[in-house]
Amino acid sequence: MRLPQTRNLLTRNIRNWRATFALAGFGFLLPVLAVANDAYDFFICANVNRNYVIGSKIVTTNGLFQRDEAAGEWRHFGYNDTTISAMAFDPRDRNVIYTTTLNGIWRSLDGGESWRMTNSWDMTEGRDVEVDPHAPDTVYFALPDGVAVSTDRGQTWERRENGLPDRGKYTQTIAVDRTQEGRVLAGCEKGIFLSEDAGHNWSQVLPTETTVNDVQQSPHDPRRWLAATDTDGIWASGDGGETWMQEEGLPAEEAFYNVTFDPTDPQRLAVASWAYGVWTSEDAGKTWAARNAGLPDNARAWRVGVDPNSGRLYASIFEETLYYSDDFGRAWEPDALEGSLVNAFYFVSRDAPLLKP
Amino acid sequence: MKNHFVNSRAWIAGLLAVTVLTADGLAQRSFESPVPERGPVPLDVRRTQYLDRVEEISQWRMGLFTPDKLDKMDMSAMSLMLMRGINIEACNDRVLEYMKEPGTGPFWMFPTTMVAYAGRDKLSAEARAAIREAWRTTRQLRGDTENHWVMYHTALYLMAQMYPNDPASSWANGLSSAENMIEGKGWLLDWMNLTTTIGQGEYNPTHYIGEYAIPMLMLATWAEDPAMRQRGKMMMDWLFAELATVTLDGMPRGPNSRTDDTSVVERWDALATYFSWQLFGNTPVGEGFRGWGWGNYFAVLAANYDVPEVIYEIATNRTKDILQHDQARSRRIWRYGDEHMRPIYKTQYLREDYAVGSHQGGISDPIQSHVWDVTWAVDDPRGVHNTMFSLHPHAAGKVMQMFFCTYPEPMPGGVTYEGKPSYNSSNKLLGCSPFEQVVQDHDTVVALYDIDPKEDFPQVNGFFSKDLAEVTEHASGWIFARGGKTYLAYRSLAAYQWEPHIRYPNGRDPTVTEETGGKILVSPHVKNGTILQAAGVEEFASFEDFQSAILALPLSFDLDTVPTVKLTTLRGSHIEFAYGSTPKINGAPVDYGDWKLFEGSHLNSEIGSRVLTITHGKLGRVLDFNTLSVTDMVLP
Repeated sequence: MRLPQTRNLLTRNIRNWRATFALAGFGFLLPVLAVANDAYDFFICANVNRNYVIGSKIVTTNGLFQRDEAAGEWRHFGYNDTTISAMAFDPRDRNVIYTTTLNGIWRSLDGGESWRMTNSWDMTEGRDVEVDPHAPDTVYFALPDGVAVSTDRGQTWERRENGLPDRGKYTQTIAVDRTQEGRVLAGCEKGIFLSEDAGHNWSQVLPTETTVNDVQQSPHDPRRWLAATDTDGIWASGDGGETWMQEEGLPAEEAFYNVTFDPTDPQRLAVASWAYGVWTSEDAGKTWAARNAGLPDNARAWRVGVDPNSGRLYASIFEETLYYSDDFGRAWEPDALEGSLVNAFYFVSRDAPLLKP
Repeated sequence: MKNHFVNSRAWIAGLLAVTVLTADGLAQRSFESPVPERGPVPLDVRRTQYLDRVEEISQWRMGLFTPDKLDKMDMSAMSLMLMRGINIEACNDRVLEYMKEPGTGPFWMFPTTMVAYAGRDKLSAEARAAIREAWRTTRQLRGDTENHWVMYHTALYLMAQMYPNDPASSWANGLSSAENMIEGKGWLLDWMNLTTTIGQGEYNPTHYIGEYAIPMLMLATWAEDPAMRQRGKMMMDWLFAELATVTLDGMPRGPNSRTDDTSVVERWDALATYFSWQLFGNTPVGEGFRGWGWGNYFAVLAANYDVPEVIYEIATNRTKDILQHDQARSRRIWRYGDEHMRPIYKTQYLREDYAVGSHQGGISDPIQSHVWDVTWAVDDPRGVHNTMFSLHPHAAGKVMQMFFCTYPEPMPGGVTYEGKPSYNSSNKLLGCSPFEQVVQDHDTVVALYDIDPKEDFPQVNGFFSKDLAEVTEHASGWIFARGGKTYLAYRSLAAYQWEPHIRYPNGRDPTVTEETGGKILVSPHVKNGTILQAAGVEEFASFEDFQSAILALPLSFDLDTVPTVKLTTLRGSHIEFAYGSTPKINGAPVDYGDWKLFEGSHLNSEIGSRVLTITHGKLGRVLDFNTLSVTDMVLP
C-alpha cells in the first residue's frame, strides 16, 4: 500500500542522516537550530478509516505518514493498519522503525518495506514505544498490562515491571529521558513511574486516580516535562520528572489526551481534550486559553502536534479531519486526512549528530 | 467472470437433492416449517436427522448462488462446494476475485482458511496461489475480544500448518510458518487452559458460540497434530454441553456474557438457536438458517462431529428440573478493577415450562452482558418476547476503559452505531452495572441497587413483554403476570412508572426505533431493589391462588440507608440480603469461595481440574484435558 513516492522520499532522507538523533514526540535540538529549511522530518500515525470495526474491510490507507512540505501533503509509507498507536526510529539507522498496534509491536529493518511482528500472543495491544538514544538496542514497549523491554532491537522482549503495581500498571505512554541512559518515565493507570535502570525497577513519582495518557520531555529544557491525565488535569515537572505540580488555569475534570511543546518556541505549549478541545499557553504554562474557534463544534480534540520546522500547530479532531493553525490556535484551517484520527505526531532531526549529554 | 453455469439444469444437478419438496417444487425449509418435536428422537434416527439438517442448510446455502448470482457466492458456499467437489471452476474464479481485495481480521481469516483446506486438492494452482499470496501481503488484525482471538489463532495455526516450511518473508506478519504455529497454538492452549480451569470468558453467548465452535471444528478436522485435533473435539463437547444445559427448548437465556438488544427480549432470536437446531433439532431455526451468522460454516464440517448422546439427552430430555451452580469469568480487565479477570458465579434453574438464571451482578462485560432473567417456554418462540428481567442501565466511558484501550469519551456514543444501539439510552435493557447485586434461590431472584446519583441513568428498568398475559398491578406493590405456563410475581421496591418498550430495527442506527407493544417499568430511585418469583401454572389452582400465595409470604425491606430485603420464597427458602453484604439463604451465607467450576444436575467440575463430567440419567462422559481423553460410561 505504499505510495510510489514514499521510497524516494525516505531514501532521500536517509541519505541525509548519517548520524541522527530520533526522539519519539520531540526533536532534540534547541530552537536556534530548529529554523527554516526543514531541519526535521515530521511524521504522524493516523487511522483514516472512520467507523472501522473488527471485521470491516479496510478501504483506506492508514498508518505512517510523512509530511511532504513541498507538495503540501502527507505521504503514506509502511503498512496499512488502522490501529497504529505509536512509532519510533533507531537513532543510528533510520531504516529501523518500530510501531505499536493492536497486534503488538511491528519492526522494520528496511525503512518500512517489510515488517515483523516481534511480540508474542501475551504482549498485545501495544500503546507506545521508545528507543533509548544512548543505548539504541534498548527499546521500551508500553502495554495495557505493563512494560516490556528489548535489548536486541525488538527481536525479543522481556517484562520489566518490578515496582509497578500489580493492578494499575496499564501503561499508555512511555518516554526515555534523553539526558541519561536507562532513565524512563511510564504513564500508567496509577500515575507516573520512573525507572533509572532501564526498567528493571520502577518507583512512583506522581500518583493519579486515573490513567496518565501522555508524558513528554521538553525539547528546550530536558528537566522540564509535561503530563496529561484522564481526570487529574495537566501536570508539569521542572526537575526531570522527580516531582510534579498540577498546571493551573486548565480545567481538570475531564480527560486530556496529549500534550505538546512547540519545538520552535519554548514558551508555547498545547494540550488536546475531547471535552475541552485545544488549549494553549504562550508563556510556558503560566496562563492557558481555549483555542477552538474555527474547529468543529464540540471539538473532540484527539491529539495536538507542532511542526518543528514552522511552528504550525496541528489538531486531530475525532474522525473529522486534521486541522492546522499558523497562529497557535487563534484560527484553524482544515488540512487533509478526512475522517482520521492521528494517534501520534513525531519529528526527527535530519542533521543533528548523535549527542551525549 | 466466466459463467460456468449456462445450463441451469447442470447447476441443479450439481447440487444434491433435498428430501422434502413443496408444491412449487422447492424444498420446505426448516425455517419455514412448524415447530419441531422437542423431545428426544429414537437413537437410531438421531444421526440421520442430524446429517439431514446439515444437508438441508448446505443445499440451501449453495442454492442461493445460481448461475446469475455467481458474483455473490460467499466463502461458506465455496467451502461447501469444494468439500463436495462440485462447481470447482466457479470456485476458482470466485477465489481469484476474493483474493484481489483480502479482508483484514479474524472474520476473513477463518473463512479463507476453510476455503483453503476444503479446496487444497481441488482448487486450481492459481487459486491456491492467490490465497497464499493474500496471506503474504495482507496484515491481519487479531481483534479485541476473545472470540476474535479464537478465530485468529486457529486460522493462523492451520494456514501455517498448510505451508510448514515457509520463511518469514512469506507471511505478512514477518513470522515463519513454524513461528506462526507456535503463536497460534500458544494462545489456543492458554484459552483452553483458562476455560477448563476457571471458566469460559464469553459464557452462554447468544451469538458468539459459532465463533468458538467453528474454529474448534476446523481444528478437530484439519489439525495434523492429533493432540490439537483431540482438543478441538473436546472443546466442542465442552461448549455444547453448556449449551445443552442452559437452553430452554433450544433457546438461550440468561445470564449471558454477551447478547444484544434483540436477543435479550426475543430469546429465541439468536445464533445459538441455530446450534440447538443443528445439534439437537429441538427448536425452529432462524430465517435463512441465520445466514448472517456462521451456521453455514459449521455445516461445512458438521458431519465430522458426533453429538454425544449424553449432551443430546440433556438438551432434549427434560424430565427433571436442572439446578446448576457454575463459574465463568469476565472479559480481561486491563484497568480500573482489582481483578485481572473477575469470577462470575452463575445460578441456573430450569424446569419444563420456564427457567431462571442469574449471576452475582457487578461488571462482567463492557456492553452486552445480561445478568438475570426468567424465560418461559412457548409453543412457537418466533417473534415472542418470552422473558422478564430488570437492570440498572449503566453506561460509562470508564467501563469501556476497563476492557478496551480507549479514552473515556469516544466509545459510549460510538458503539451505538456498531450494533449496540441502546448503549447510552436511559431505557436500555442490556448490560450490567457496578451498582447491582443479585442473589438467586431456585426460581426466586432478588436484585439490590445502590446507584451513584451521578450516574447518567439513576434508575432501574424492568422489561414487561408484549406477550405477558393477565398483568395485574396489585395494591401491595406486587405486579402479577403470566407468561406461557408460568406465573410471575415481580416487585419493584421503589415507586415506578411505565414507558413503552422500543426496538431498534437497524442495529447500526440508534435513531430509528419502533414500539413493540411491551413496556418498561422505570423506577427512578438510586436505592432500589427488585424481587422476582416464578412458578408453574400447574402448581396452583388459579392465578388468584398464586397471587394469594405470594402475598402471604413474609417480606420486609428497607431502602433508606442500605438496601435490604428479607423474604420467604414460594419454595420456603429464607433469603436475607443487604447491598454490599454476602446474601444468606436459610441462614447460610452464599459462599462463592466454595463454588466449583460446574456443580449440579448435569455438569460437574472442580476449579482448576481441567476435567468436566457430563451426566444425564445413566449416561456419562468425562472430558479430561490433562490426559486429552474422553471416557464414556454408564452410571448405576
